Amino acid sequence: MLAFIIRRLLSTVVVMAIVAVFIFLLLHLSPGDPAAIIVGDNATPAQIDAVRKQLGLDDPLAVQFVRWVSGVLTGDLGISIFSHEPVNKLIGQRIEPTVSLAATTLLLAVVIAVSFGVLAAWKVGTWVDRCVMVLSVLSFSVPVFVVGYLLIYVFSIKLGWLPVQGYAPLEDGVLVWARHLVLPSIALGLAYVALIARITRTAMLDVLSEDYIRTARAKGVATGPVLMKHALKNAGVPIVTVIGIGVALLIGGVVITETVFNIPGVGRLVVDAISQRDYPIIQGVTLLFSGIYVIVNLLVDLSYTLLDPRIRY
Amino acid sequence: MTTSRRTFVKGSVATAAAISAPNLLKAQSGPGKARTVRAVLHGDLKIFDPIWTTANMTGNHGLLIYDTLFGLDDQRQVKPQMVETWGVSDDKKTYTFTLRDGLKFHDGQAVTSADVVASIRRWSARDGAAQHMFKRVADTPVKDDKTFQVVLKEQYGLVLEALGKIETNLPVIMRKKDAETDPNQQVTTKVGSGPFMFNEGETTSGQRYVYDKNPNYVPRKEPPSGMVGGKVAKLDRVIIENMADEQTAVAALKAGEIDFYEIPPIDLLDQLESDKNIKLDVLNKGGNVGMCRLNWLHPPFDKVEARQAMLHLIKQEDILKAVFGNPKYYRTCGSLFGCTGLMQSDVNAGWLSGGQDIAKAKELFKKAGYDGRPVVILQATNISFMNNAALLIAQWLKEAGVNAELAASDWGAVVTRRAVKKPVTEGGWNIFITWGSGEGFDNPIGFVAHTANGGDGWFGWPKDDLHEKLRDEWALAGTLDERKAIARKLQENAWNYVPMALLGQWAPPVAHRANIKGFIPIPAHVPFWNVEKA
Repeated sequence: MLAFIIRRLLSTVVVMAIVAVFIFLLLHLSPGDPAAIIVGDNATPAQIDAVRKQLGLDDPLAVQFVRWVSGVLTGDLGISIFSHEPVNKLIGQRIEPTVSLAATTLLLAVVIAVSFGVLAAWKVGTWVDRCVMVLSVLSFSVPVFVVGYLLIYVFSIKLGWLPVQGYAPLEDGVLVWARHLVLPSIALGLAYVALIARITRTAMLDVLSEDYIRTARAKGVATGPVLMKHALKNAGVPIVTVIGIGVALLIGGVVITETVFNIPGVGRLVVDAISQRDYPIIQGVTLLFSGIYVIVNLLVDLSYTLLDPRIRY
Repeated sequence: MTTSRRTFVKGSVATAAAISAPNLLKAQSGPGKARTVRAVLHGDLKIFDPIWTTANMTGNHGLLIYDTLFGLDDQRQVKPQMVETWGVSDDKKTYTFTLRDGLKFHDGQAVTSADVVASIRRWSARDGAAQHMFKRVADTPVKDDKTFQVVLKEQYGLVLEALGKIETNLPVIMRKKDAETDPNQQVTTKVGSGPFMFNEGETTSGQRYVYDKNPNYVPRKEPPSGMVGGKVAKLDRVIIENMADEQTAVAALKAGEIDFYEIPPIDLLDQLESDKNIKLDVLNKGGNVGMCRLNWLHPPFDKVEARQAMLHLIKQEDILKAVFGNPKYYRTCGSLFGCTGLMQSDVNAGWLSGGQDIAKAKELFKKAGYDGRPVVILQATNISFMNNAALLIAQWLKEAGVNAELAASDWGAVVTRRAVKKPVTEGGWNIFITWGSGEGFDNPIGFVAHTANGGDGWFGWPKDDLHEKLRDEWALAGTLDERKAIARKLQENAWNYVPMALLGQWAPPVAHRANIKGFIPIPAHVPFWNVEKA
């Protein structure tokens, strides 16, 4: 097991190195000039050139890459071209809203999706099953921003129950924190609910047709324990796998959700940075997201051993 | 163990109180909602040095925390702001200024002549209008703590106008130690002497920027007018929120979560207008003037006939209607200086009154020797005006027999490519669309797009010696009437050689909650002095 974890962590380093090279080249070879943006539209070409030189953007690409990578290896993700603040600090300032949003979404999605998936499998072929499937197709098909605007219109503008936008940190109190996260979490979580619910249903249907389930029922075990204790645990591997894969979906969704609901998280940070070509921020956040994705999937792989004792690393 | 209903209620109340306590304490520490305005302006605030950048967001920040020596009132007359008295020598080469009493920076230090001179020196290294003036400045001696001079080598008519300009880069007064920062580096401190102070502790970069009333600010006695007069802070706090999504900002305004939205989307104006809690006002009467920059370095626009063709090809009304919809927010314009300023005229603007004439444009392109090569239009798809204008111009060019090609990208990529001087086949361009403020257009010296000095000038690189000579004459003219006369000559010449084509002028409204009043209309910026909340 330990050897597996070490191997996976080493492979994480390789993956992140590839991501680093790829994102650096992609950014620096695509059109866009932070120097031209930073000095404003009415700046003269001479002023733009001066800023480009000052920022080191006229150095050869290899020099810029080595400069950046040297910093990354010491834990320094660089300095924002625009705000002149360290990228580490900017990410630190923005991480709480993003973690809050991702955690509440994940919790909400897993609880709802697994419940609906189990319910659909239990009531397979009935109207309950069909309703769950139709809702999941709808949830998966409607873009996050459309759901977001609809929720804002109904719950914030018309009913006035919840805030339109913004984020309140936990230190402002749990209730106010939660109030700001309800709508974004629903908007972001719907697609995730659909994905997990469908996989849960399919996995549960496979397990429910197994002999040991029939045996449990024949022995008089109640429906609840059959579904939750005997079936769900054995259907867990594909469900956990899709939750892990869905983290990528979640990361992409966070970027859009934070923009629609004006949440000052890492997603907004990177969206603003992309429009301004703030290379150090884009590179730093992309590295962070890729690291999170790789580690989440490592945790998913490790969780298999808890769900299925036959799996050994 | 059993729990009685009373115990449960007590426990619930205690829990709610515990989790709400930090919020309640925090709420008590800031100013009340009634004396706080939350505003969404046109972008995020990334740079805090209004001398260093031309970004208007930074200009807004500058007007909150800094003050200027002079300013333009609502009649565009130059009036003193930080200056109490001033005079000029008989030979009109030495200007002497005395600062008014009570000027203090936010750190408590008095504003002195040394701070002023360091600030205007810094500004002279960054700003086009300042550079034009400082070519003629021999010295800026400090006479005492409150008196300084600007000594000229030769007479110059725009000294006060330059020191009071409203367009970025703004001539704000910083502390000497900040102003002495290398002009190529941004000043990152935020200490001015203006009516509001930057609250670093409550600010979250990229989310909100907080400004508190400066209790030590001594406003002038005159009523506020434009950039001058009594800048009375009637609010305790101004919060600039960075909200990227237009739809969300409109919803937040309707829900009362924000009080002010600088550029509401045009297609939602009717919706906002019908809300009794929201008011629409045009604060920036001069608005913006659209321009189509033509690349003089390469065919076909290296030939005057091809540039003249563009005047007859473009139908401003169609572009403006496509973007702004309601005619009360736009107008067609044939003046090189915009159609709301002091320099406007209709000299030699028959191409506008004659209307669109594709056949004439076709004929002029033929005369220019157009050989069917691709004409590349940079199309910034993320900015509605630039996107629509590019699409329409491409269509009209095709109708005139020109092989127009759209190069679609975001604005960030356009600002890079527009700097490329190479031919189209090597990554260059022929046309790009942008705009400038109406106030900027009205100033032949201060507005960089009015330069016609070739490769050293602004993108498109027009070159015309007579234009440059007239610009100099305009700056040296002693009276407004003389300047107007020279402006007419400039325009007559311009529409012959065609430095660029115009795309009309527009002045969209701001949207704010109906209980907010007192906004001072000034160009391109939103001042928050005099604003109050009922």
